[in-house]
Amino acid sequence: MEQLLAALFQLFEPTHLAFLFAGTLLGLIVGILPGMGGTSGLALVLPFVFTMEPSHALAMMIGVLAPTTTSDTFPAVLMGVPGTAGSQATVMDGFPLSKKGMAARALSAAFSASLLGGIFGAFILSISIYYAIPIIMAFGFGEQFLLVVLALLMVGALTGDNLFKGIASCFLGLIIGSIGTAPITGDPRYTFNTLYLLEGVPLVVVGLGLFAIPEIVGLLDAKGSIAKSLNTKKGWFTGLKDVVKNWFLVLRCSTLGCLVGALPGLGGTVVDWIAYSHLKQTTKDTSQFGKGDIRGVIAPESANNAKEGGALIPTLIFGIPGSGNKVLLLGGFVLIGIEPGLDMVTTNLDLTYLMIWSLAIANILGAGICMGFSSQISKFTLVPYYILAPVMVCLIFFATFNINRDWYDFIGLLSFGILGITFKNFGWSRPALLIGFFLSSKVELLSYQTQAVYGLSFLSRPVSIILIILCLATIVLLTKQKFDNNYRSDLIKGKLTQIYYIVILLCLPLSMIWFTSSLDYRANLFPISLSVIALSLLVFILIIKIADLKNLSFLNNTFMKFARSNIFEISGNFNNQLFYYLSFIGFLLMNFIFGFPIAAALFINMFILFHNRKAYVSSICISAVLMLILWSLSSLLTLQFPNGLIGLLIDLPWWLGGQMN
Amino acid sequence: MSLFSFVSIGSADVNFAGKTVTWVVPFKEGGGTSRFARFIQPFLKKYLPGNPDVQIMHIPGGGAIKGSNYFEKNAKADGTFIFGCSTSVIVNVATGNPLVKYNLSEYRPVVLLPQNTHWFTRSDLAEPHDLSKIKERKLVLYALKTPASADLFHIWIYEKLGIKGAKPIPGLSSSGGYQAFLRGEIHLSSHGAANYVKKVKPEIEKGKVVDLMTLGIIGADGSVSRNPLAPNAPTFPEMYEKVNGKKLEGDDLEAYYAIGAAWSQASKAMMLPADASDEIVKAYRDAAIKMTNDPEFKAKAVKALGPFPLIIGEEAGEIIKKAAVFSDTTKNQLNAALKKHKFTYRVQ
Repeated sequence: MEQLLAALFQLFEPTHLAFLFAGTLLGLIVGILPGMGGTSGLALVLPFVFTMEPSHALAMMIGVLAPTTTSDTFPAVLMGVPGTAGSQATVMDGFPLSKKGMAARALSAAFSASLLGGIFGAFILSISIYYAIPIIMAFGFGEQFLLVVLALLMVGALTGDNLFKGIASCFLGLIIGSIGTAPITGDPRYTFNTLYLLEGVPLVVVGLGLFAIPEIVGLLDAKGSIAKSLNTKKGWFTGLKDVVKNWFLVLRCSTLGCLVGALPGLGGTVVDWIAYSHLKQTTKDTSQFGKGDIRGVIAPESANNAKEGGALIPTLIFGIPGSGNKVLLLGGFVLIGIEPGLDMVTTNLDLTYLMIWSLAIANILGAGICMGFSSQISKFTLVPYYILAPVMVCLIFFATFNINRDWYDFIGLLSFGILGITFKNFGWSRPALLIGFFLSSKVELLSYQTQAVYGLSFLSRPVSIILIILCLATIVLLTKQKFDNNYRSDLIKGKLTQIYYIVILLCLPLSMIWFTSSLDYRANLFPISLSVIALSLLVFILIIKIADLKNLSFLNNTFMKFARSNIFEISGNFNNQLFYYLSFIGFLLMNFIFGFPIAAALFINMFILFHNRKAYVSSICISAVLMLILWSLSSLLTLQFPNGLIGLLIDLPWWLGGQMN
Repeated sequence: MSLFSFVSIGSADVNFAGKTVTWVVPFKEGGGTSRFARFIQPFLKKYLPGNPDVQIMHIPGGGAIKGSNYFEKNAKADGTFIFGCSTSVIVNVATGNPLVKYNLSEYRPVVLLPQNTHWFTRSDLAEPHDLSKIKERKLVLYALKTPASADLFHIWIYEKLGIKGAKPIPGLSSSGGYQAFLRGEIHLSSHGAANYVKKVKPEIEKGKVVDLMTLGIIGADGSVSRNPLAPNAPTFPEMYEKVNGKKLEGDDLEAYYAIGAAWSQASKAMMLPADASDEIVKAYRDAAIKMTNDPEFKAKAVKALGPFPLIIGEEAGEIIKKAAVFSDTTKNQLNAALKKHKFTYRVQ
């Protein structure tokens, strides 16, 4: 009770609200930019968060996280492009509605459904926290180990287009996560005697590289401005009425979203489709679906925002992320010194409640802003991407440098950037890689801990059996639904590149085995077992791909058809994306020579002028505004700019990249 | 750096007016050392001559080695750079980590903040303050973060108390370990003073957990007194005597002092670089003494820093030397314990 009150007081402190509001605004913007979601948004915020007070940092992070699934409806409805992975199903009916001139109705229905879902999620979360202590006490090492493994399997099976590629992505993530000091013996693994890799690759670098960079080059590749025209004037009231009329649907889908969200690892990417298919199954007249049925917007939107509350349950009490963006939230917890687990429901209960209520308030704020300023906000979708992209790149570089003030982080960022671009283009799962990476050390430790305490007997404990059944059932149900689609292999070009790509991927497990084989068995058992599994999966995928390419006959049985589905990906213009990626390397070199402030101003102007010679006024203005923002940020938070070679030769002032002090 | 020290020896009047003091903390925000620095920060500004701005610079990474090496390389000796030290920074040096490039034992400590460790177990496993039932058990599991951390000392402690079934479970943080302890998965657990008061005391009052012992508070003369937070619990030397039938002395006592210095007495510390002049060290120590007499400090210190008084002055330097430079016999003792538990890691 005392903690409840303490949390309430803190919630309404002006500074707390201010940070929450700032986070919410940022989250709204991130949600509107197609493809950028909570994961990229949090990765951008994280490097700055750890200079703040823990409660302010928390407010900021929750603020960023909460409204992305609300504002992602703008691109989904207006452009037919999902703003985040969670609004794919919204496109199905939202875009047709907007083509019929009912964009406002679709948006207002979506926002209010999203709002109700979000609040419902926060409500369920606050109740389940109350019952969490017995659950935490029932989950020993064995149960936690199973929970993590099941989370990984589910993510692998469900976030990729192809089951085997999804699981292989997971294992590659686990292998990357095992880089660094071996937890049992303290041996350095795969570190090449560098201090940089001793603690593993920084999470934010992985997050930004895997998610933000591929989306930026992908959208640059798609070219042009984002939306063509806007018609969001009339029909707001109709949308609200639609939601009120379908209140029971909102309730059902919110419950569904909460439940699916609470399954560790599953989170974002499937919940909207589950809600959509639930809607289809429970409706008599399905003729309008896909052509602009308002219920097709309400169902996924209420579910995908309710899932945020549900996904926080495993995140807070077990430290197992419920979805990709929760990985970064957990990374933020580490930075501000919050450890998930029993403390969250006992000594740190006030922080937990603060989070839940911040979530609810951020949802209300987010939905309110979306409705109140919809026509202004939707103009964001009109900004040409060649203007947004260089700004985003500068922000990403600035954020990256402030993780550790280490130039190696840029190399990490660009390496994971190219990994992310290829993963996206060739149909491998980035969320699975990220979650595998994050959970790697946990899997390793839990396997040792389980072995030390229980041996194999943990499998026969009641909670374990329930977990195994739950997982198998989910995977069977969901894969059945997911892989029912028809796959046209003959339409795909560039299959050879995708085959060669596997050969490159093979290098990771092979080199891991090579470099760790001489270590103590307690240091290399884990990475080598992972590598062997990853190798077999990759070779299997390679065989299927070659067989698919040559159209060999052994593919014609049920299992092989299943394994073959979506084995190739219809990629975008890969060469084009590579070109943009190279320009980022150019930017890094400019940083190295001139230091960040000069390089950023140069890069923004060059990039915009390259795309549009006449836009020099806007390019100069944009670079000036960005630098003003970054300068005030740095003096506020004592951040530093990367200083280049010039800065070493001449004594530059700090705002041009010179040394502080 | 030597050049700077020549300059500063010449000026007897230390004044930091208009300057900024950079406090390098080799850990992330929110950790214990960061909280320690943040608590001291305003008092330092208030009492240092010239009232300089004090900014805390967090450089986490590499198990605190990155920030410590950064300090060694970049710190100026003119008093504008101070270092936030903790047990792990000391253990990196004491155990001979090859990546360490900082010469900690020569640094000039200003303030040490002692800590103390409490050991306890479940009430169904042992009587309070009595190890005999624990010693009979075949398997006694306990949490161990990594053998390359201060947790290494647990291995030595259990070894010296003759707990034959003791088996470390690796990779558990102290709070993760305590959770597993409450779930009944591990048998022995320990906490620092702050968490002992917050988390363990309530369980003791409920009758679920019993005290076993504390590390004990080591005085300047080497005497060991009981921990005021658990006055009935024996200290490690008392427990050692009870179990082994002889006083703690010789190599074992030497190892205990070294471990106690690193783990308990110098748990957190604020230091000046090795070549800081005596005037600057004195100015800092004077400021620290004024700080401890500040009514606001007195009112808040116990809650923020714990019940143990700060150590200020020459005594602090002796403790740091003891903590950072382990004798060969102590190293051999630790390595023997590591070897017995089949760890490949060795103290160098």
